[in-house]
Amino acid sequence: MLKHIVRAAGAAVRVSSATSSATTRTLPFSCAALCSPCSVTTQPITRALWMLSNNGTSTGYRPKLFSSKVIYPSVSCGCGALHTEGDKAFGDFLSDEIKEEEKLQKNKSLPKMSGGWDLEMNGTEAKLTRNMSGEKITVTFNVNNSIPPNFEDEVEQGGQQKLEEKSEIVSAPNFVVEVTKQTSKHSLVFDCHFSEDEISHGEGEEQSEIFAIREVSFQPEGDLDWKETSYTLNTDSLDWALYDHLMDFLADRGVDNTFADELMELSTAVEHQEYIKFLEELQGFVKCN
Amino acid sequence: MGIVLQNLQKIVPVKRSRLRRDVETLTHIMGIQKFDLGIICVDNRKMQQINSRYRNKRSPTDVLSFPLYQDLRPGKLPCPLHKDELNLGDVFLGVEFVMSRCEEESSDLYPALTVTAAHGICHLLGFRHETEEEWNDMLQKETYILNEYNRLTGSHLVPLTKKSSQKN
Repeated sequence: MLKHIVRAAGAAVRVSSATSSATTRTLPFSCAALCSPCSVTTQPITRALWMLSNNGTSTGYRPKLFSSKVIYPSVSCGCGALHTEGDKAFGDFLSDEIKEEEKLQKNKSLPKMSGGWDLEMNGTEAKLTRNMSGEKITVTFNVNNSIPPNFEDEVEQGGQQKLEEKSEIVSAPNFVVEVTKQTSKHSLVFDCHFSEDEISHGEGEEQSEIFAIREVSFQPEGDLDWKETSYTLNTDSLDWALYDHLMDFLADRGVDNTFADELMELSTAVEHQEYIKFLEELQGFVKCN
Repeated sequence: MGIVLQNLQKIVPVKRSRLRRDVETLTHIMGIQKFDLGIICVDNRKMQQINSRYRNKRSPTDVLSFPLYQDLRPGKLPCPLHKDELNLGDVFLGVEFVMSRCEEESSDLYPALTVTAAHGICHLLGFRHETEEEWNDMLQKETYILNEYNRLTGSHLVPLTKKSSQKN
């Protein structure tokens, strides 16, 4: 099912404005690295060179198209791509960042889920599967955009001592549970979310359930596309007794609070692993190793 | 809305529909079906935290009630003016604590949770057990509720207040 991907994309839009200040992890790249080398006005490094060639003035004289310092890389390489002093500093920074992140990595291997779940990874998407007496239960989630903003904590913490106690980054993705019976052509699909209290406060102050079912729907078995024409039960205005039965149904199939806790741990480890991989790829791209 | 059930812990697997059914039976017996109330299942850590914060006791316990109407005369139902005020408050059930007691006594969890919930709901209705008179009133109320419950369900539940007095 692709629903969680669509959802994750939605979440990305929702949190994008807050993400930069939300996590304690500072993004180790500046805009300069990701923009086109030609966009002079938006790149600090290029702008710095512009300033040098103008003796500090930004009006009047414009550099010629083939003038030396603007175009030619200060570090040469056989790949033919641009390499600036900034790129070198960027590469060195990434190298340090990767080392720091590897130190923070508790374990190279991913934590195991209890309950006999098989894990299958496809990039940032994880799929957990188990079979139970003729039923197949599949749980999928994507670690992209799965770190919720916790800027409220930063505001509340205030004091110096608390600022030093940075909260750990936790990945809490939406996850989709799909229950398939051998005799049925349709799967029962649950769209589940972690509660915000659980993610942001972590220890002690939580007043909400660890996770909640948001939507329930029947979908054609094995169909990758989410069929929007299938009736979707939204739990916002649902009879509480029905909601409890749905939660019990999931718990009987191994999707309970313990599972949700372990999923969060797994997702956090996957996200961190993917983050380090991304940094390494970025370093390779910048340095042109 | 009726009963809002929340399970904030992962130590004891709780069948929510079973717990809801049992508590709903209690609310019918007590004639408080039209009121909302929260039943919140927590572990010892959380229970100890709440007990410490609100009662200055640094230990977990089986049940803590937070009545919305704090000055109710025992047994008198509140008369709210607005529909929004049809709420009695929250009962925190220490399911880990109750489970440990059940293991010691080799008894079942759900009957024990029903007895504990009945005690907690009585607190929401203004019952206390700080004096002997209050204790007797509460015991009488719980006995009535659980006798009715036993009659309807064929159970043999005993009030929590009575159990506590036997222990003391």
